[in-house]
Amino acid sequence: MNQVGSIGLIAGLAFGFYAVIAGVLGGRLRSLRITKSAERATLAFFVMITLAVATLEYLILTDSFSSAYVATHSNRALPFYYKIPVLWSGQEGSILFWTWLLSIYSALVVLMNRRRNRQLMPYVVSILMGTGVFFSSLLLFVANPFTDVAIAGVGGALRSFTPPDGNGLNPALQYPSMVIHPPMLYLGYVGMVVPFAFAMAALITRQLGDNWIRTTRRWTMVPWMFLGVGIILGGNWAYEVLGWGGYWAWDPVENASLLPWLAGTAFLHSVMIQEKRGMLKVWNIVLVIATFFLSIFGTFLTRSGIVSSVHAFAQSNIGPFFAVFLGIIVLFSVTLLFMRLDFLKSENQLDSVASRESGFLFNNWVLLAAVFAVLWGTIFPIISKAIENQTVTVGAPFFNRFMIPIGLVLLFLTGAGPLLAWRKTSFQSIRQNFTIPLAAAVVVTAILYALGVRGFYVSMTVLLSAFVAVATIGEFFKGARTRQKTLHENFVAAVFNLTMRNTRRYGGYVIHLGIVILFVGFLGQAFKSETKGLMAEGDLMHVKDYTLRCESFGTGDTPNYEYERASLSVIRDGRALGLMEPEQRFYTASQQATSHVALRTSPREDLYVVLAGQDPDSKKAIIQVFINPLVMWVWVGGVVLLLGTLLALVPSRVEREMAEMRREHEEALEIENLESQE
Amino acid sequence: MLIGIAFALALGLAFFVVKPLLAAGTDEGTLPVDVTLQTDLKRRRLVVYDNIQDLEFEYQSRKIAAKDYEALRETYTTEAAHLITESHEVDRQSTEEAFIEREVAARRVGRKSEVVPDYTCPKCGFENPVPVKFCGECGAKLGPGTKLQ
Repeated sequence: MNQVGSIGLIAGLAFGFYAVIAGVLGGRLRSLRITKSAERATLAFFVMITLAVATLEYLILTDSFSSAYVATHSNRALPFYYKIPVLWSGQEGSILFWTWLLSIYSALVVLMNRRRNRQLMPYVVSILMGTGVFFSSLLLFVANPFTDVAIAGVGGALRSFTPPDGNGLNPALQYPSMVIHPPMLYLGYVGMVVPFAFAMAALITRQLGDNWIRTTRRWTMVPWMFLGVGIILGGNWAYEVLGWGGYWAWDPVENASLLPWLAGTAFLHSVMIQEKRGMLKVWNIVLVIATFFLSIFGTFLTRSGIVSSVHAFAQSNIGPFFAVFLGIIVLFSVTLLFMRLDFLKSENQLDSVASRESGFLFNNWVLLAAVFAVLWGTIFPIISKAIENQTVTVGAPFFNRFMIPIGLVLLFLTGAGPLLAWRKTSFQSIRQNFTIPLAAAVVVTAILYALGVRGFYVSMTVLLSAFVAVATIGEFFKGARTRQKTLHENFVAAVFNLTMRNTRRYGGYVIHLGIVILFVGFLGQAFKSETKGLMAEGDLMHVKDYTLRCESFGTGDTPNYEYERASLSVIRDGRALGLMEPEQRFYTASQQATSHVALRTSPREDLYVVLAGQDPDSKKAIIQVFINPLVMWVWVGGVVLLLGTLLALVPSRVEREMAEMRREHEEALEIENLESQE
Repeated sequence: MLIGIAFALALGLAFFVVKPLLAAGTDEGTLPVDVTLQTDLKRRRLVVYDNIQDLEFEYQSRKIAAKDYEALRETYTTEAAHLITESHEVDRQSTEEAFIEREVAARRVGRKSEVVPDYTCPKCGFENPVPVKFCGECGAKLGPGTKLQ
């Protein structure tokens, strides 16, 4: 079977390579035929990589331990639903998975642009497939998932060998959200190649109006959404599996996913200025390049083992290849950008500092500051090791010192931006729009302060969250009231029609509300508490207003793992809340231990119980209890973020008009072609 | 067996890929233009109209002070007017260019333009004084056949 996978990879590489060359030729000669052939090669690339993925998945599901990849990452007793993610749990498999997602995106781009962006498409195909060639070369020459297990036989010659069972999947990955977290992140990382490809094609063909911007807006929003969902699912996994009581630790790999998300957020905001005012053209290209670069950089950080992280992937030899690829991306895109600077002149000037445009611009600067702070903290240990041969770690305090203030400024802009008018806003308008949200925010903060919610950053977060919430809901309210008055709709219909008329704007506002909910969740971190103690059967532990009673502490096993389990009954205010059963699991195939957290979640707070092991002297269970207020709101915020993005993806009336115009144009073109053929 | 199928698949795809190149007899088509000057102007006009609608709505929602509203409305209207003029200009030029091209082509084949182009509308009978695509009186489309009667 390994040969079938290899054929998939070799043919995939060949088609990818062909598509790059044919794309460039088709573009240079403006030839429809060569471009069509390049596009078909992209579809062929997709089919062949799919064949490779199907082969590897088949090997995994059929427990073919003669395959080195399967033997290293799977085992017989692994449940079926954890066998599927084996595909992306190891180095080779995850690069194959990356390549496959790239092939899916590329095929979709080709299929959806059969009749539009015809001038751009040859180069778009070339750039997509250029990336495809890089990844499929890695697969064939550096990290091949289709090799056999081999052992040294008589005389030292290698011969193939089928072990009876595999080493098993990393136990930390045997968790439900871990099944979808990596695909989400990867969909995010990989998808950023599409806007990059369009931007580069626009630069090459000098078609730098806002055509490429309008095409790539959706292509950016989709991966941005996946990246966001992936990040939050990753947090959820860390929270529920790693057992240290938190969901975000500024781990290098977490940061790696945050970086392109931040840059992508900046891009999604600044495109609006180019669409509305024809400004910031160079800036937008820079942001697209940065987002794509950071996506590949993120993959590099995750996959090269260059930084130490909870995602402890082994040291590997793919680092230098990625470094070269990153270098090529920067060199190619920046050179191209400089060559085309003359075509990127702004159509308008900034009219006033108090305007929506400058709000967006400021938001961009702050987001970029966030990118630099996170990037610096992430790569500083690598630089320090390279220069001074010292291993330093940059921990949460560094990131918190920069990112909390940056986050709060961004939060303020989230609320303030939509209150400013395009072009310029007079003081009178500002006063008119800011008074109610600010007053409401001050009242909320004062009430919570009186109730004991205190501290500088805490009060600032409360103030700004309330401000943004009131301002954003106010946008819906004011809009709906106006529709009620002018169009005599009822309130619900007015809100619905208002939203559907401009889904991108109101979807964006829903996302803003999601961000507020996230910040409310983050706020809980300031009030978390932690207790640790030894417990035997019948022992009690008091944590805040909870009482935990140890009912039993014992061991057991399943085919996949052995476990130690403590059963604790929880009582709060004299009311029994049920049983909580934290476990320590020892996975037999991989010989690794992991903790299984017991969690009781509520809108107010989470009760988070970890069995940290057995005390060697007293033989009692070591129980660690965390009270984490408001954590649930982080997940709720994530869901709202997702819903808002989906809403923004629905075509609005304005977009439908534009699409109609494009269709007319396409039809006219076809008639012209037909006439010329006659 | 499976390896054979995989090979066959790869070969089949290779044929699928090169097929457009092998299509003999047909003209080498060129890539069509995505954005003409005219469509770009139209799109920009739509954006301005949308901005105006937004502005009206925000004013009605009392988000914008009267002073700002009037000033912004003025700028947007001027912008739209400019775009419309520009669009007409492009239209006029392209019709004139088409007219000149036809004349040149006719002269090149060694004969004078025998027939004076007649832009009489077949629908309402109006004699359009200049080369046009649509009748200046009733708006009916003047097809290729109508032009050189």
